[in-house]
Amino acid sequence: MNQQTTFGNGDDSVEDPDGEGVSSMAEEMAAAQRSISVAEFFERNKQMLGFDSRSRSLVTAVKEGVDNSLDAAEEAGILPDISVEISEGDDFYTLVIEDNGPGILPDQIPNVFGQLLYGSRFHVREQNRGQQGLGISAAVLYSQLTSGNPARIISKSIGHDTAHRCELMINTDENEPQLSSDEEVEWERDHGTRIELDMEANMRARQQMLSYIRYNSIVNPHARISYDGPKNTFTLERASDELPPETEEILPHPHGIQIGPLQKMLASTDSYSLSGFLGSEFSRVGEKSSTAILDGFRDRLFGRAGAWSATDTNDSALIDAIEDVVANKPPGAKLTFAEQIADRLLDGSGASPLTAPRYATHEVREIVAEVSESVEEDTGTVFGETVQRKATKVAWANLAEGRETDLRALADEATSAQKNGDLLTGLAQRLSNKFKDVDEHRATHDTLRDFVDRAADTTETRTDTTIGETARENITEAVWDEMRTVPDDVPKVKAVADDRDLVSALLASMREADLISPPSDCLSPVGEEGVKAGLKSEYDAELYAANTRSASVHGGDPFIAEAGIAYGGEIDENEQIDILRFANRVPLVYQPGACAMTTVTKRIQWRNYKLSQSDGSIPKGPVVLFVHVVSTNIPFTSESKDAVASVPEIEDEIEQAIRGAARKMKSHIKSADKRRERQRKETAIADIFPAFASKIASTTGREKPDIADSLARVMNNVLVTQRKTDSFDEDTLSELHDEAGFKADTSIEVWNFANDGTSSPEITVTVKDEPEEIGDGATISENGDGYEVTWTPTISSDERMRLPLITDGSRVELAVDGLPDERVTVAP
Amino acid sequence: MSVDDNTNDSNDAQAALMDLADQFHTQLATGEIPKMELPTRTKSNIVFDEDSDVWVYGDRTSTRTANSVSGARKLLRAAYTLNFLVQQVEEDRSSTLRELYYLSESWDNDHAAFSKQGQSNNLVEDLEIVSGVTREQFNMRPEESGATVLGPLEIREETRRGERDIHCQKDVGEGGYQIPSDVDHVEFLDHDAEFVLCVETGGMRDRLVENGFDDDYGAIIVHLKGQPARATRRITKRLCTELELPVGVFTDADPWSYRIHASVAYGSIKSAHLSEHLATPEARYIGIRPEDIVQYDLPTDPLSDSDINALESELDDPRFDSGEWREQIELQLEVGKKAEQQALASRGLDFVTDTYLPTRLDEMDLLS
Repeated sequence: MNQQTTFGNGDDSVEDPDGEGVSSMAEEMAAAQRSISVAEFFERNKQMLGFDSRSRSLVTAVKEGVDNSLDAAEEAGILPDISVEISEGDDFYTLVIEDNGPGILPDQIPNVFGQLLYGSRFHVREQNRGQQGLGISAAVLYSQLTSGNPARIISKSIGHDTAHRCELMINTDENEPQLSSDEEVEWERDHGTRIELDMEANMRARQQMLSYIRYNSIVNPHARISYDGPKNTFTLERASDELPPETEEILPHPHGIQIGPLQKMLASTDSYSLSGFLGSEFSRVGEKSSTAILDGFRDRLFGRAGAWSATDTNDSALIDAIEDVVANKPPGAKLTFAEQIADRLLDGSGASPLTAPRYATHEVREIVAEVSESVEEDTGTVFGETVQRKATKVAWANLAEGRETDLRALADEATSAQKNGDLLTGLAQRLSNKFKDVDEHRATHDTLRDFVDRAADTTETRTDTTIGETARENITEAVWDEMRTVPDDVPKVKAVADDRDLVSALLASMREADLISPPSDCLSPVGEEGVKAGLKSEYDAELYAANTRSASVHGGDPFIAEAGIAYGGEIDENEQIDILRFANRVPLVYQPGACAMTTVTKRIQWRNYKLSQSDGSIPKGPVVLFVHVVSTNIPFTSESKDAVASVPEIEDEIEQAIRGAARKMKSHIKSADKRRERQRKETAIADIFPAFASKIASTTGREKPDIADSLARVMNNVLVTQRKTDSFDEDTLSELHDEAGFKADTSIEVWNFANDGTSSPEITVTVKDEPEEIGDGATISENGDGYEVTWTPTISSDERMRLPLITDGSRVELAVDGLPDERVTVAP
Repeated sequence: MSVDDNTNDSNDAQAALMDLADQFHTQLATGEIPKMELPTRTKSNIVFDEDSDVWVYGDRTSTRTANSVSGARKLLRAAYTLNFLVQQVEEDRSSTLRELYYLSESWDNDHAAFSKQGQSNNLVEDLEIVSGVTREQFNMRPEESGATVLGPLEIREETRRGERDIHCQKDVGEGGYQIPSDVDHVEFLDHDAEFVLCVETGGMRDRLVENGFDDDYGAIIVHLKGQPARATRRITKRLCTELELPVGVFTDADPWSYRIHASVAYGSIKSAHLSEHLATPEARYIGIRPEDIVQYDLPTDPLSDSDINALESELDDPRFDSGEWREQIELQLEVGKKAEQQALASRGLDFVTDTYLPTRLDEMDLLS
């Protein structure tokens, strides 16, 4: 019962950024099932499971059912077709969810619907909906507890002629499903599943219910969903016939695993050794990373061995000492043996004690073994195990003798600020003493730190100085770095699985190891086109923008954030914007305030994107904001999976995604403003210029001037006019004729007054009779009324071009394509 | 600018206006964007003209084009106004600036209407500058400003009802002779004056008249009535040049009053194109000076923020760039006070005529 009181504290706003909740909950529930009835457990924890009120329970039951149906259909490669029916009876509501999924085999039905946490997917690394919630069995249990009626299930598997119908209740004492009716029936569907549940419920959460259904169709444009409930009946047709790419399950990444699942994996693996286990059951663990993890594990289990350098560069003492312990060998071989060992160990010493080579016991042992082998080869004298052991012991003792010098040098290097020589010497001496009686001078990181602390404390007392926290830490690290991971064998999988301390040490080593990020090709975001299509299907807007980020990692799990914006059109501009939240293609409809998606939306300065916003609140404007995160493990704030927890990595990506979409919206707003401004100008100018021209004409008594040119200039348009060349002055005319290569009688004048670059208008003149000559680059075609001559000149800002033509004076009609109408002024 | 030869006025004015309209016509006909170039009318673009001793516009110009909606609107108003003025000159009629403003309401294009009188006033000034003709020549009058002249001076005014000979002491009441809007229709016949005294406020002018200052000192008292109208400045200029009389300016001691003096003596920034015609470089500032505030311990008000800004801006104004002005303005900023002319009454009603003015005029050698 203990785990109940700690677990079931009823606080569903608990932060759970590691996503540990679900997996730990699985374990807790498993434990709970042994001690109390599942019904009691459910009763105590219902608010965390999304069954805290009658209205909420109905939404949760629908969500569990629909999520299940979508996952099942997608997994089988079927475009989902799902119907949800809610009807109000005398005593309770009846919920029917029916899908066209692959169906469930008869013997699996009790497990799928009747057992809490069946096939627990809680530590499966896959982007799926089932990750969220306890599954449909929780709804079955709720139904049974509130109505007393069994769940009615019909399912027909692909390829079967008949469907299987059963009534199912959960034995709450045993957490075992019980079938009360079980028969083969005819069913008009080819395949699919239908579940019918009676439950205490009400429709007070109508809005959340409808949002859940509608938003589902936005984020799953490939699904067809119909809804038939009190007051609302509608069908949301699919906007796309394309199934999302299948998401693949990936192996867990060592950085993302929690202790419970790790323990479970250890208990159920087929691997014998830890390296085999790590290599085969985790992603991104190769031989190198496996070694790194296991070395870390060794360091935790066995501690590292002290490694020291020789202080006396003169090899005679060492040689003598070795010779002393080797008995009964020919003197020549014995000397060679001792000399070679000394050679190896002293090579490089005598330099600074910081850089001198250091050796731990097992390293000395290896050197001795190697020397034995080579001396035996050379001299034929065998140096047996006993001799080697003795030589190792005396040689290493010789090195270890001078450890105080090593420690002093390391401490000196690690504490650049402290240059008190006496202090360092005292500290090194005391620290060196701590190793005295320790076998092979082994210490774990914690033990070493304890050594340093004790040595430092004593030194402080003696010298009346202080050795600060940072100095102690630095000294510990410096010494730790010089110590050697020991070659002892790590325990086998079985031994680790049974010992929680070992599991926890292994987990720590896994987290510490430097590893490549988990693969992200297992994720399937909706994609920018999909997001836009989804928004389009639900909102009549002026602009749809989307931004899907590339994959990123939190903990050991890859994730992708994406955002979409529907702007303008029929969206109310005077209200705060709607934020549609999604996680792994599931709409989130509760607790918006607690969700990272909302927090991030509020912290963005929307005024930069041309929306109004009072500081730190949701902006106002004609906008619907879509935010979606997919991951192999979504961190939620609570078990009821209503809100994404504020994990910094995820928040940052959400922000980038939203900003990306918002930038597109901003440039749309800006260009729309520009267009409106241009239109306003055009309207005003079109009113002012003719009046100006008339007034000037009447004041001067001259003819009213043609204003087309001036107008085109003012509006930065491309001006196209037709002129007869007989009005040209001589120079212009001869220039035109030279360029054309013929005596053009008509010139189509194109003048680009645009200030934003090059234009390529397509200019077509229609003439009655076939033109005698057309210029280079012109094409001609005959139509019913006459002939069409077409040019597509490329003309840069402020450039003028003349397109020559001989038309025998027949009337020319001008048309310009390839530019927005408002950017062209055509003067006859 | 021929301002004396009235007979040619209307022809000249009309021709100048037509020229401008012609320019617009040509611009349109050649496909250009209609435009009008004007000197920049800010204090950074006025320069001292050595020949005439007044401040005129410098070389910087700004172009008003029809490239933007507001620019096009301004040119449209210019076109309608030109059209109206040409007709007005032709029919020898006249109208006031305010009438022009209201008249624009009746024009057949909504864009052509002025939305504030400031716009029409500015436009008329623009047209003066571009055409080189004064608005008086195209028969645009301001509203009568009500400024007056009183003193030993006899004039002849050419009115629409015939010529009138008026003595500015004997033939007028205490209010004095009202300056007409077109001073060039006034001829000076005779005078018995020693100097011209321009007075800012009505109260002080009345005090001087009541105390008989004009008689006692042979002063022609010109009432400026605040920032003086063009006609007031023009008559002052003519009194100075034609009658060779010295001119003194008597105002409050605050930055706005110094600007009144500046526009009398050096020309105003807004109408610097007419400085030669309107400014009286010989005019000298009598007071009240910041120094007088201190010297006579006059009752004062503290300087407001806008007063301080105005004073500081005057330190940058080329018209005030003289040692004496700089000294006085800096003194005023230091004491942080301003005083009205009538503050002199704190020393008795006759103090101004018996002591202050005689002392100042004597100091300035304005008394013979």
